[in-house]
Amino acid sequence: MKIIRLLLVDDEEDFRTTLAARLKRRNLDISDAGSGEDALELLKQKSFDVAIVDIKMPGMDGIETLRHIKKIDPLMEVILLTGHASIEAGIEGIKSGAYDYIIKPCNIDALLDKIEDAHRRRFIEEGHGKELTQDK
Amino acid sequence: MFEKLKLFKRKKQDDRTYARDNLSDLFRFKYSCFKMLLDSNAEFLKVISDIEEKLQGQQVFGMSYVRSRSAKAVFHALRMVKNLDDLSGHRYSSLFETFEKINSNINEIIKKKKEDLPSENILPYSVITAEMADWVGGKNANLGEVLNKAGLPIPNGFAVAIRAFKSFMLKTGLFDQVSKKKMEIDPDNPETLITISEDIRKLIISTKLPPELEEAIMLAYANLVESAAAINTSGSSFMVSMRSSAIGEDGELSAAGQYLSKLNVPKEQIISAYKEIAASLYTPHAISYRLNKGIRDEDIGMSVGCLQMVESVASGVMYSRNPLNLLEKNIIITAVLGLGPYAVSGVITPDSYIVDRDGQIVSAEISQKTVKLVCKPDGGLMEVLVADDFRHKPCLLPEHIRILAEYAQKLENHYGCSQDIEWALDAKGNISILQSRPLRAEQFGKTIPITPVLTAYPLLIEKGMTVSGGVGIGPAFLVASDDDLLNFPEGSVLIARHSSPKLVMAMKKAKAIVTDIGNIAGHMASLAREFAVPTIVNANVATTTIPSGMEITVDAYSGRVYQGRVTELESFQNTGQFPMKNTPVYNILREVSDWVVPLNLMDARSPNFTPASCKSLHDISRLVHEFSYSEMFQLSDFVSDRKGIAFKLKCAIPLDLYVIDLGGGLTENNQDFKDIHPDKIASVPFKALLNGILHEDFHQTQLRPIEFKGFMSVMREQMLSPPSVVERFGDRSYALISDKYLNFSSRVGYHYSILDTYCSQTVNMNYITFSFKGGAADDTRKNRRVRAIALILQASDFAVEVTGDKVDARYQKHEKTLIEQKLDMLGRLLQFTRQMDMLMTNEASVDALSKNFLAGKYNLE
Repeated sequence: MKIIRLLLVDDEEDFRTTLAARLKRRNLDISDAGSGEDALELLKQKSFDVAIVDIKMPGMDGIETLRHIKKIDPLMEVILLTGHASIEAGIEGIKSGAYDYIIKPCNIDALLDKIEDAHRRRFIEEGHGKELTQDK
Repeated sequence: MFEKLKLFKRKKQDDRTYARDNLSDLFRFKYSCFKMLLDSNAEFLKVISDIEEKLQGQQVFGMSYVRSRSAKAVFHALRMVKNLDDLSGHRYSSLFETFEKINSNINEIIKKKKEDLPSENILPYSVITAEMADWVGGKNANLGEVLNKAGLPIPNGFAVAIRAFKSFMLKTGLFDQVSKKKMEIDPDNPETLITISEDIRKLIISTKLPPELEEAIMLAYANLVESAAAINTSGSSFMVSMRSSAIGEDGELSAAGQYLSKLNVPKEQIISAYKEIAASLYTPHAISYRLNKGIRDEDIGMSVGCLQMVESVASGVMYSRNPLNLLEKNIIITAVLGLGPYAVSGVITPDSYIVDRDGQIVSAEISQKTVKLVCKPDGGLMEVLVADDFRHKPCLLPEHIRILAEYAQKLENHYGCSQDIEWALDAKGNISILQSRPLRAEQFGKTIPITPVLTAYPLLIEKGMTVSGGVGIGPAFLVASDDDLLNFPEGSVLIARHSSPKLVMAMKKAKAIVTDIGNIAGHMASLAREFAVPTIVNANVATTTIPSGMEITVDAYSGRVYQGRVTELESFQNTGQFPMKNTPVYNILREVSDWVVPLNLMDARSPNFTPASCKSLHDISRLVHEFSYSEMFQLSDFVSDRKGIAFKLKCAIPLDLYVIDLGGGLTENNQDFKDIHPDKIASVPFKALLNGILHEDFHQTQLRPIEFKGFMSVMREQMLSPPSVVERFGDRSYALISDKYLNFSSRVGYHYSILDTYCSQTVNMNYITFSFKGGAADDTRKNRRVRAIALILQASDFAVEVTGDKVDARYQKHEKTLIEQKLDMLGRLLQFTRQMDMLMTNEASVDALSKNFLAGKYNLE
């Protein structure tokens, strides 16, 4: 199983640590950032496969963070996770290239599935598997 | 030389492993797109039915409803488009533009309506009407409507508006604190839900109201006392009842009395009672309900009605009709002595009166009364013994009953449907209405007979499916051609073979609609509900048994049609009374719905079935749903052609079935074989499915002679179908397996089915999703087959949704053995459907075939 490089972006430190702890047992390489700005800083040093980004954050919000991430690494997948942002934000998010929009708290297995699906999307978008669907 | 060969062999194996891994990723990715797409499709269709229901104008709603529902529709349509585009390798990018055009039209309409929330925290009932549901919640809005529009008495009082609640939550920082607390809920651990719910409620109750809000509430109370004092000079301290009136997508919760109401509240406890009621939004039940439905806290809010406490000598509930038999014109009144809570709680047996429309008692059951609930002088309620003299006496005098009966009829007339009413009678003989809401009778898609069969009239149709409830009476008019539609006489009952969007032309003129065949989720059905035209589909024999010109009565409550004018049912005809209709909010919903609800793309084979022809979100969802199936299948075709990845299954019956092992799905490493025998399968779910597919009863029935007509129909379809959808006339199935996982797609003739399942010891992770799309044969046959499959799946405990010629079914969180049983059943069903194709010659075959299957009769000779 491939290691997925995952970035958690949320201003709630408690939430980040709890989620990271709950995802730890799985096959993930997890980094975290407490703001959109920090996340972009981190992206300069390291690349990630998937990010989970909270929509409502002070300073740079989740949608803005998503847009910056997509500029830096268009193939990085972003899952928007939100406790109390509007579905309108979900619409904006998907239009800006988010992989999906999930309401938290959510089931950990469902979230893990989502992360793996998002990772597969990156893999496919990179061009893998293309030869399988082309005519011989 | 030898070394070289070994090296070559290893390279070949590496290539295969690489291809297999890639394939696994590709497949799982595509399936995840398909799953998200189906999920959004189901959500989208729910929003559509909900909007249609609101368009009837009988239920109250405000702009927040319009905004949240249209956003939900937009979101799910967009999510469908995105996933089809991903699934297809970005071949549908043009759909984003189509989507955006429709979306911006919707936004324009919604923007037109200014956010005209009132600036008051308090609204007296004298200014409240049904349209104000956004400001004061549904219950308060209805109470205002009763007073101001229906013109009936309610207790004096005022509503603390939603605005007050929002400012309480926001100004004190409660909203953020609550949101933060909610994050600690672990959905997998119900214990956390209970403790956190308690924490949140304590937090709300212990937070001080903003001073201006507290002042406003107490000032409104003072005004209430003053105005009441003018009428009522009794010197005792002035008590109020405080009632929850929530907004948001929680109609079911409010209806179920989940939120708190407090009776006999003294002045000094008003503020704390207000907070307790606000906090009741966060009971464990309410939180988990919202989590499950994906309802955000932004969209909920609590308004509190503050009414003069009626120290009732009697109180109770009445139904303007018998909920189990709408035919009974009689009104049902139940009454207890003292306060109302005992009337609904079942603590004591109430008196019950059956009263005719003139207010005369038809029958009365007077109960033996031992206790009653009364106000405590210092607040709160207490139970007291009923004095001996009153124990055997009725709660109500004939004159009270007459007034109640009059009120019930006025409310029924005002709202245009039967009502469920709470009332109270004070010591001076005044009756007030405390609540009035629709008595829910017919249920969408289900026909629960709520009217008895009337034996005095010939019964023409016994068991149709209700699409839109109500009663319509008039001469039958058979519609067989477009000319018939144009000449449709006003006030007739429309009879047709199929439900069709064309019928809409005559719908406004029709008293009722009855079709032999039809779809409860179709376009016509939607409009029938919207225009409140009583409609029955699947009546099977309407066109053959009902001649044009015959006067008939359509009882769409119970799916029946009678010959003649059934006088008992006359009063249920549409009265045209709909309080919400033509209000500004209603008109906005109407305008928005034009971009959301109509379905123009009916025929998947039409040359217009393209992204460019989509005129509504419904069109987009239909198109995406349709295309997603062929995308899933193109993939399997490519894969099964590749050697070294897929193994052909060798078995007793000719199956073109290819197996791909993702790991642990086979008993031994099979990389060097071309074929694989069923006993080499280790995958638990695949074994179960194969067991059903290879069921011995199917061995002899592979090639059966087919009815010529049926065969021609299949051939014709083949010629008419676009090549992209149908590539060949034949079967091909395809299984992607691991030890606990199976994704099985199969194409038999022209129907596709896709099954995805996980089967392990962990009950919570287990699921089966099964999608079936009808293929060959004309639409009618397709529809019959789909309905037969839906019946079978429903009978097997699946959650089933039918859209056009597609069935999506789900079965989840069940034990391993149950999952295996269902997979075995699905295997048999897949084989069974191969034969079903040609046998769907008439309507009766739907029931007959599903019954045969469920009875284990698979041989259809």
